[in-house]
Amino acid sequence: MNAAIRALFRRGGGETVEEVREKLSTFRDLVEKNDKVLELMADAGEKLGGEYVFDSKYLQDLAASLKAQVTGVVGDLSVLTQNRYPELLEALAGIDASIQGALDCRLVVPDVPYVLPLKDVTFEHADAVGEKMGRLGEIRSRLGCRVPEGFVVTTRACRAFLDAAGLGDEVEALREHVASGQEGFEASARELRERVLQSPLPRSLRRVLRTEVDRLMEEGTPSLFAVRSSATGEDDELSFAGQYSTFLGVPAGGVEDAYRKVVASLFSPEVIRYQQRNGMSPGCGLMAVGCLRMVSARASGVVYTLDPAAAAPDVQVVSAAWGLGKIVVEGEAPVDRFEVRREPGYEVVTSRIADKRWRYRLAPNGGIERDAVRKAYRRMPAMPEARISELAEVACRIERHMKAAQDIEWALDDKRRLFILQARPLTIPPGLDSDHGGLADVVARYPVLLEGRGEVACRGIGTGRVHVVHDGDGIPDEVPTGSVLVTRAATPRLSGILSGVSAVITDLGTSTGHFAAVARDYRVPTVVATGIATQRLQEGMEVTVDAEENVVYEGRIDELVRYQLLRRFPFQDAMEFRLLKRILRKIAPLRLRDPLSPAFLASRCHSYHDIIRFAHEKAVAELTEIGWLKPSRSGRQVCRLELPIPLDLILLDLGGGFRPPSPGSAATLEDVTSRPLAALLETLTTTTAWETGPAAMDLDGFMSSATRSMSLSGPMAARPQQNLAIASEEYLHLSLRLGYHFNIVDTYLTGTPRDNYIYFRFAGGVTELIRRSRRTALLRRILERHGFIVETSGDLLIGRIKGLAPDAMVERLGMVGRLIGVTRQLDIFLRTDKLVDECVERFMSGAPLRPDNPAHGGPREAS
Amino acid sequence: MSNAVEVMVLDDESMVCERLEEFLTGKGYAVEVFTDSQQAIDRLAAKHFDVVVTDLKMEGPDGLDVLRFIRGRSFATQVVIITGYGSMDTARQAEYIGAFGFVHKPFTLKALDDMTRKAARKARKLRDREAT
Repeated sequence: MNAAIRALFRRGGGETVEEVREKLSTFRDLVEKNDKVLELMADAGEKLGGEYVFDSKYLQDLAASLKAQVTGVVGDLSVLTQNRYPELLEALAGIDASIQGALDCRLVVPDVPYVLPLKDVTFEHADAVGEKMGRLGEIRSRLGCRVPEGFVVTTRACRAFLDAAGLGDEVEALREHVASGQEGFEASARELRERVLQSPLPRSLRRVLRTEVDRLMEEGTPSLFAVRSSATGEDDELSFAGQYSTFLGVPAGGVEDAYRKVVASLFSPEVIRYQQRNGMSPGCGLMAVGCLRMVSARASGVVYTLDPAAAAPDVQVVSAAWGLGKIVVEGEAPVDRFEVRREPGYEVVTSRIADKRWRYRLAPNGGIERDAVRKAYRRMPAMPEARISELAEVACRIERHMKAAQDIEWALDDKRRLFILQARPLTIPPGLDSDHGGLADVVARYPVLLEGRGEVACRGIGTGRVHVVHDGDGIPDEVPTGSVLVTRAATPRLSGILSGVSAVITDLGTSTGHFAAVARDYRVPTVVATGIATQRLQEGMEVTVDAEENVVYEGRIDELVRYQLLRRFPFQDAMEFRLLKRILRKIAPLRLRDPLSPAFLASRCHSYHDIIRFAHEKAVAELTEIGWLKPSRSGRQVCRLELPIPLDLILLDLGGGFRPPSPGSAATLEDVTSRPLAALLETLTTTTAWETGPAAMDLDGFMSSATRSMSLSGPMAARPQQNLAIASEEYLHLSLRLGYHFNIVDTYLTGTPRDNYIYFRFAGGVTELIRRSRRTALLRRILERHGFIVETSGDLLIGRIKGLAPDAMVERLGMVGRLIGVTRQLDIFLRTDKLVDECVERFMSGAPLRPDNPAHGGPREAS
Repeated sequence: MSNAVEVMVLDDESMVCERLEEFLTGKGYAVEVFTDSQQAIDRLAAKHFDVVVTDLKMEGPDGLDVLRFIRGRSFATQVVIITGYGSMDTARQAEYIGAFGFVHKPFTLKALDDMTRKAARKARKLRDREAT
């Protein structure tokens, strides 16, 4: 590098030793709090499993601890970044308020628009869109099932409507009346209902309703709508089946009126009595309303994913009729009935075809009407067997996701497309749910493949055929539905395929990691850190994963699956349990998964998990900006390290990092007492890559490097840089600038595996993007083979691993050291994709990476 | 004397009571639950229980009062105390007065099961001795 460039890099300040120490100390605090939050989240998730007894005090304490830790994380980030992310404080305040509102049993009205398109809705939005629409949105967005197009009028709109109508006080008075246990609330409830029916909607609400309805009319036919209730407080276990109003076949002009009627049904005396019987706060809910385009149904029906009559334990029951589903739901006339196996293949076992004389259809001007079925169709199955199997597969997927047997309404439209109209937990007849005697004898007959290994990250039971995703395979777009995913690293990048799998077993990872949180989010039974799953479980093997007892059995144990689906502890109906679930929705879901995405923003944080993920990433990025140490009086804590390779490295001791050399002289390798630094330097300094001269460059590579040398992008480009190792006995933050490559290693190596982690960040290169991307691909594949979770964007790469035992940490740090050494300037050499494959294999086998230059990259032989 | 071990559960949170009643009944114990500690004391005056599982902090008479009442009548009845956060000092007092053991909220059903079984064994042994 010439003198001018050197001068450029040195301009602009730097930080004193004390400032760097302070930064590091704040960072460590942040990481500790981050880990504590993950632990508390995992702990709370476990409490949902049914094995624990907890009370409202626990929930209060949990919320208080989480709030304190997350607030601390945000505070630490503010200190580190000089309050660069004020939006994070706003996001935090919003989440805190929602959680406190839930704890106080206050109604939480999220600050959302009056309407949300169904395609943007998941179960996490239940406070805004009600439980029913939340579930339907979840089925669409998480499971990819086809549901009707439409939108949801949110609880905020409902509140605005009631307030504008001047009914807020009346609603509160009714609530107090009912809560006091006094009789005679019926008259005031009826009066309130009448007043809702007669009140006009606020103008702004009418406007958005019309806009949304017009949009749906433009986008397709038929131009009729289903206006469905979706109250808050309708939990999984307490589905208010048939309690609230729903209107079918509503013409565009009638949507507003139907909306008003659905809201008014909140105040029906029958509903309030139902709430009283179930120990819920009466009149406490708000009404969200789904407005969905009607499916012009050729056939419709219902699936019960288990036979509630329990005649056959391993079948689903499908009912089907011509036209709309009313005839099936209300049991008005005989319909077709099929029993379908619950395992892949979904074979129809029995079918009973009814004489179907009537059907319901959409009336041209709105509403629905009954008409006669043509004679030729009466005894014809309303749904062909092949489609029944397809439906059964979809139903199983929904059941697996919801972790309970389901009651699903479906329809086949006139283009023969299958729609899911609604799904709710199947009502299990009393007695059936406790009928699991002899289960121990049943499972004892199956060979045990894994037992008590690793940690359960998400409880539950799943069965299916093993599908192994090997490191370096890349993440597949999909895996066979219902398979048991077996993989080495617990990377959040697998989240895209989690919706279709029955269970996940990994070799590495922790139950407090981000992947574990995502698995809980998707409710997939998951065991992490088994160490040997990829060796023990072979592709195609049929297994049952019991992530309650942490056992993997060979074979399919239907009895165990059925036990899970029917199990329903009474405590799940209890207020505390439902409250914990509601609170966790504000805490656990992780949406900010990709730190390299432009959408990785403070303003997009919707849960505590999002906040700590964001803060951790930004804190690490802040550390990468430590580039140059100013002269300091702390002379003995800073020194140069003399290495047997051409690398100028400045050491800053945080305590126990190295033995201070005599004044004026450099430290040597023997002086390094930091365990992570020693482990990394051992391979970095013995890799033969250092012996090669400048890499030979072809013309393309040269031109690219010439144009790029002065325009390096990224935070480090315009800052002065040193090679810097900030170390204590157990901690290392290493910032290396090798030519045009920037390596950051941030690691903690202690005797306690759960505290250990390695964060590795790599960027830069001098060649054109394609070659730099090849080198990124190479790094990614090597790191993934070593169990790292890796994210890449262009030539930027972030790899991380945590929870390893000390020996494994030393081995991984050694690997990272070797990787840094051998990949120096390797992009110049990576002319084809094939060379990437070769280099990965060479690295893994310990061979030099460049066959044209045997000296490049192998471990040096002991002399 | 009936064969089933008689257990009283006392906790002011009905959710905890319902859970424990369902679980302990499933384990074969004869269970009575109370959310009001005065009513529980009245019942203890009228009937012998082998094991009492009680919360520590309650409105009215608290867990310590219940324990003192029991100790004033019988040494055979074993008392298992459910403790929450921040009640360690009181828990130590309870130990001094003669509580059999403690489970800390939130606790697993297995932990309670183990504790109750041991307490029941001791209760039956002492009761047999008192009877002879």
